[in-house]
Amino acid sequence: MTVTDIAPKKRASRAKKPVTVHTTLVIGAGFTGLGTAIKLREAGIEDLVILERADRVGGTWRDATYPGAACDIPSQLYSFSFAKNPNWSRTYSPSAEICAHIEELAERFDLTKDIRFNTEVTALAFDKREARWEVTAGRTKFYARSVVIASGPLSDASLPKIRGIDDYQGVKVLSARWDHDFDFTGKNVAVIGTGASAIQIIPELVKVAGSVKVFQRTPGWVMPRLDSSTPAAVQRVFEKLPVVQQAARTALFLGHEVAATGLVWNTPITTLIQQAGKLHLRMTVKDKWLRRQLTPDFRAGCKRMLMSSDYYPALQADNCKLITWPIATITPDGIQTSDGLQHELDAIVFATGYDVHLEGPPYPITGIDGQLLSDDWSGHPQAYKSASAHGYPNLFFTCGPNSGPGHNSLLVYAQGQIEYAVSGIRALVEQDLRWLDVRKDVQDDYNVTMQKRLQSTTWMTGCSSWYLTADGFNASMYPGFATQYLRQMQDFRIDDYDVASNAAKRLWNIPADDTRTVAG
Amino acid sequence: MATSTQAQPSTAQPSMNMEDMLQKIKDRQWALADIDWDAPGVEKIPEDFKPKLKAFMADLCWIENVGARGFAAMAKKAPNDTIAEIYRYFHAEEQRHANAELALLKRWGMLEDGEIPEPSVNIRMAIEWLDTYADDMPLSVLGTVIPMLEVALDGALLKFLLEEVHDPVCHQVFEKINNDESRHIAVDFAVLDMIGHAKARKLAIDFVSNVASPGLIIGMLMYVPLLNRMRNNLVDMGLQPEKLYRAMERFEKLGRRGEYTHRVPLFQVLRVHSKMVVDPKHPYHLLANSMVTLSEYYPRALFRPIPTWFKELTYEPVTKGVKKGMNAA
Ligand SMILES: Cc1cc2nc3c(=O)[nH]c(=O)nc-3n(C[C@H](O)[C@H](O)[C@H](O)COP(=O)(O)OP(=O)(O)OC[C@H]3O[C@@H](n4cnc5c(N)ncnc54)[C@H](O)[C@@H]3O)c2cc1C
Ligand SMILES: [Fe+2]
Ligand SMILES: [Fe+2]
Repeated sequence: MTVTDIAPKKRASRAKKPVTVHTTLVIGAGFTGLGTAIKLREAGIEDLVILERADRVGGTWRDATYPGAACDIPSQLYSFSFAKNPNWSRTYSPSAEICAHIEELAERFDLTKDIRFNTEVTALAFDKREARWEVTAGRTKFYARSVVIASGPLSDASLPKIRGIDDYQGVKVLSARWDHDFDFTGKNVAVIGTGASAIQIIPELVKVAGSVKVFQRTPGWVMPRLDSSTPAAVQRVFEKLPVVQQAARTALFLGHEVAATGLVWNTPITTLIQQAGKLHLRMTVKDKWLRRQLTPDFRAGCKRMLMSSDYYPALQADNCKLITWPIATITPDGIQTSDGLQHELDAIVFATGYDVHLEGPPYPITGIDGQLLSDDWSGHPQAYKSASAHGYPNLFFTCGPNSGPGHNSLLVYAQGQIEYAVSGIRALVEQDLRWLDVRKDVQDDYNVTMQKRLQSTTWMTGCSSWYLTADGFNASMYPGFATQYLRQMQDFRIDDYDVASNAAKRLWNIPADDTRTVAG
Repeated sequence: MATSTQAQPSTAQPSMNMEDMLQKIKDRQWALADIDWDAPGVEKIPEDFKPKLKAFMADLCWIENVGARGFAAMAKKAPNDTIAEIYRYFHAEEQRHANAELALLKRWGMLEDGEIPEPSVNIRMAIEWLDTYADDMPLSVLGTVIPMLEVALDGALLKFLLEEVHDPVCHQVFEKINNDESRHIAVDFAVLDMIGHAKARKLAIDFVSNVASPGLIIGMLMYVPLLNRMRNNLVDMGLQPEKLYRAMERFEKLGRRGEYTHRVPLFQVLRVHSKMVVDPKHPYHLLANSMVTLSEYYPRALFRPIPTWFKELTYEPVTKGVKKGMNAA
């Protein structure tokens, strides 16, 4: 293409209206999005905008309001090390408290002014000529040299496709979007699912509902969760002496790292963890058959570990019953199980988890050559260090492929991703680059290693989990210690990238859409 | 990039498409509420026939429940996820059969409100055996015993019943049960054939290490009188025992159809055993019948408490709320 070719077009678009091109655009105002903004500011990058589809910050913790919602990683680990909270009231904080902490972060770091609320990103496309991302949010367009995707690993949820679900006349409640208008007091209710959310909801429902029937498909490993309130004195010490809090955090971090030897890798420690799980069952569940129903068939760690000390007791309450028969269909009045019985129900709680987007965000992302990320990632999503994908320059993923922790706080990992993105964006700005695109060979090598290392992990021991794609490919978990992951994320190497520089373009007067790249 | 493979024991490819079978099973689910339990027809059962029918139905319904527990054990051994899921359904379906049979007993006025028939000694022995040993038995043992139970005690008995009982609701119920059973038997023998395809060495090890195990010996000791008890019940009802025998011959016939089934050692044992059962003059019956009599003297106090899974049966098609403990969903 010649310069004359493109000139008129260019003029036409220029004539329309000059657009603002931000240095960085962040999608999502949850923990990760806000953490990215804090770190970018700290690095001197002030020109940023955060798009958030909701009307408030908080992400997961704004949306998860079901009774009993809380984190299952100790609170001391469940915050960023650069923005700690000395005031966690309990070992495992309830959802509202975490949300309040995130709101406090937005205030403390004065982030709200950069957030565009009620703005849902519907598409991303890289404009090669202008070397910028065009971000569509409904009818509005935003432009930025770089984009950080922080729209969350578990931010979307929908009713499952169970036979007959549309015929049901009672109240349907989705755990991820709790219906606070419905009063469960005295009602006959069902909970479908026995995962992380369900085991928090069930003990709360048992306290108020007339009856609670729990429909289980596969039992998970449940470890006791020793939750207690944090004495005010300790909170004061944490406030006055941050070093002490850091020490507590480090101790917890190391404790979780040790657990990786059994939860990440399939080892004799895994068996030991299973024995602990079985002991927990034996000590808290009297009936042998119920114990059998609750004993998992898969290696500990293969699916997400469940942490609860009140789930097993709740199941044995007089008004609660575990049902393991398959659900034949949902009927207008309730649930029909395969043992031929109808269960009449006033409400059904679907604690069936989240729509996990293993194959990339649910909005279209168009890369440098017009290709779609959803096609590139169909079946086998691949990125470099979970953060960059070849063909999608200046785009940084958080919670990307092979970034999931099996044994530690997600925020520890997110912090590494933030650091990595900030390094990349700094390089872009400080070296006046048009773009950084991770090299194909580098990305391929990295993924060969990942898949090799994954083979000896618990996730690949044969259970079906949301960590794996339909054909059993693991593109979600990171096979290693958090320490290893953080080390790789702290090590941003520009040599891993194809680099297009503005200086080169000016010097050689290369047409704007030439793909000529200059090694950095 | 190489696809990760899930660690699953690789038995042979089943001769049947198990995915299709699972879908078919999901599509054919039925419920007690689909049946009008108050429809006319009860009067077609002669009064003098009722006590015998009650005894027979009670045993039958508990045998369904025992079969259910067998499938629960199988689900843990299944060679792949699809077959495990099929067994989860079969477990529930046997329970459904038992529930439906209870509902028939209720309809015929043979049960008081809330009454559940007493399991016989032989059933209780079977229950204890299952509860103690079933989960530890390898697939090659469970996968041979279950088809035998299904063919002899379950599937076939139902057919005989229909010849004697002329209640249309009973026929409606057993038509549904038989449809389920035809799928059970198809899967049973397909899996038995898969088992036969395994390495001969593995089969031999499974067999030798289990034939001598207390589990299998006690299992046989329990199975022999259970079978003869059913046979005697049948004869009491005026049915020809030949029909039971013919059913047992089906075990061999269906097994012979499989390409590899004959390689399963326990299949051969059960086959020879069924030959003895089928021959009314075989001295085997002397032994078996004295075992039935003996078992009557088995001290009830020695039984452990009835496991809770055994208390889940109910004739109520619809449940609301939670009734813990006994016969409520
Ligand atoms: C119930 C529950 C319990 C959890 N407990 C733990 C725990 O104990 N320990 C742990 O480590 N992790 C836990 N997690 C995982 C949790 O998701 C992460 O720890 C963390 O909250 C992720 O933060 P985030 O900012 O990356 O994503 P999110 O918190 O999901 O934030 C994403 C934001 O992006 C917005 N968004 C999404 N799509 C768009 C779009 N198209 N346009 C604009 N905005 C968009 C969303 O509205 C949301 O505000 C839990 C998750 C859930 C659901
Ligand atoms: Fe049956
Ligand atoms: Fe059956």
